[in-house]
Amino acid sequence: MEKKKIVISPVTRIEGHAKITIDLNEQGSVDDARLHVTQYRGFEKMCEGRPYTEMPALTARTCGICPVSHVISSTKACDNLLAVRPPKASRNLRRIINLAQIIQSHALNFYHLSSPDFVYGFDAAPEDRNIFKLMQTHPEMAKDGIALRAFGQKIIEELGGKRIHPTWIVPGGVSHPITTEQKDNILAQIPQAMEIAKKTLKYFVSNLHKFQKEIDSFASFPSLFMGLVNKKGNLEHYDGFLRFIDSEGKVLEDGVDPIFYKDYIGEAVEEDSYLKSPYYKPLGYPNGMYRVGPLARLNVANACGTPLANKEFERFKNLNNGKPVLNSFYYHYARIIEIIYGIERIEELLNDSKTLSDNIRSHADINRNRGVGCSEAPRGTLFHDYEVTNDGIITGVNLIIATGNNNLAMNAGVKQVAQTFVDGNNITDGALNRVEAVIRCFDPCLSCSTHATGVVTSRIEVRDHNKQLVDVIHRN
Amino acid sequence: MRVVVGFGNTLRGEDGFGVDVIKELQNYTLENTKLITTFQLTPELALELKEYEEIIFVDASHSDNESYVLACNIETKTQNTLSHHISIQMIVSILNTLYKSFPKFQVCSMLTNNYDNILNQEKYNENILKTVKYIKKSQ
Repeated sequence: MEKKKIVISPVTRIEGHAKITIDLNEQGSVDDARLHVTQYRGFEKMCEGRPYTEMPALTARTCGICPVSHVISSTKACDNLLAVRPPKASRNLRRIINLAQIIQSHALNFYHLSSPDFVYGFDAAPEDRNIFKLMQTHPEMAKDGIALRAFGQKIIEELGGKRIHPTWIVPGGVSHPITTEQKDNILAQIPQAMEIAKKTLKYFVSNLHKFQKEIDSFASFPSLFMGLVNKKGNLEHYDGFLRFIDSEGKVLEDGVDPIFYKDYIGEAVEEDSYLKSPYYKPLGYPNGMYRVGPLARLNVANACGTPLANKEFERFKNLNNGKPVLNSFYYHYARIIEIIYGIERIEELLNDSKTLSDNIRSHADINRNRGVGCSEAPRGTLFHDYEVTNDGIITGVNLIIATGNNNLAMNAGVKQVAQTFVDGNNITDGALNRVEAVIRCFDPCLSCSTHATGVVTSRIEVRDHNKQLVDVIHRN
Repeated sequence: MRVVVGFGNTLRGEDGFGVDVIKELQNYTLENTKLITTFQLTPELALELKEYEEIIFVDASHSDNESYVLACNIETKTQNTLSHHISIQMIVSILNTLYKSFPKFQVCSMLTNNYDNILNQEKYNENILKTVKYIKKSQ
């Protein structure tokens, strides 16, 4: 048999455009596999020349699913330019809306994008492996997904005025305080959200035994992990310090102020993808591969910091006897734990009397010519880095998007799954679905990370040893 | 009760048609009619729509060949690529399957391929008024 290449294009049930290529050798075994992000956004250049005050609204337009994350990091970068710390009430409110965003995004990934694989299995027929089938056979589960997402979206709307691209978070704080009525409206929805989250956890954990092969082979390898932690070393999504650990759990860097991220993170560019490949600088490229997002956040943290999430966190930690959990399939597990944490933490923050304060914004002029904002987005650590003139006009922008941080790991994961499941002599749909599913573990948001026009599509390519295309699977 | 859902991105030229129709409708008193604008259709929108007997979706629909033509587009798209925004068909399917809600629904679309700006303001406004007139009349 001669060498061949398989192309999966587009990759389905992800946010944005990508394709996967799988190279087969003469024996029909997988030689290599790569994820290519085929869309380009260009926000880093587009923003140059704009006043810094426009950056939160401009960068929010990067994405329709996680605009809040961009607004959070962007306004934090602007806070840094002004050299101000927003008042406590606005920091609490920003935390609440950020967690609401994480809950709705995690719910979307679990129920709408990934659950067909959990419910029907990875070998189910493609026509069954979708949300429509799920609505017919598991209506309660589908309704839970909608309700949980609505919980997060309603908080965003309640605080930000609208669900998509809210402009309420501004440099120095937020534009208006929360009212008692708004607080009570959100609190009233918490019991139902928590009930759904617990049900989801129970479902997932009780079905894990069905996916041992996927657990063992879906991007399951040693790597570094990076995430924010708070002063106690616990889970943190809004502020805090960067922590890097290795695959054994050894802390490589701790207490790193995100403003110094460039001392620790390098950015490589590969010729076959518009997605950057950030790496841990001391280990160089590509050895400095690290993972971010829910799995990484739980791996780097000492605890979650809320009662129910802490309890589940302990079980999560036991998966690898207290060492970092290396199997990317468990990103799904980590997402559910974060949903529980998010609901608990939102309740705590709402019940903090300081949250209701009218003191919500600090004002200043430009005090620095460079500002960095960092927060945890649903998919991982997000950096906005701006350079401005003394008048506040943007002269340079560097964005490291959560999904981009995982680029090297996603590529390694695609290769591992392809080598485990794809047989060039008998290419099955189930095998190719697994190649896509490993990407879904990371829940990439490609529209965010490459700075696209058009519709969501995906594609897998198979090429021979001469790089000639042998097969293309195209989905739209 | 009926609901009119105008959706689109007002920063992308004529893609904001649905939202602009709703803005114009706000100048009138429409009995038993709720108006909603949204950037894009999302699954949880079904929770807001499930109680209504009739839904009118107003949007801009891409066409390479036609601009400023009012049309009704009910083409069924492939369903496997569900992302953070969904189609009208998906919303209706969610209503039917999950919430046993079977509203009458209509789709009022303006065909366009102008997303950088509004190319012909006169024709654009004319289509807004025609759509508003149709919605008012169909009460």
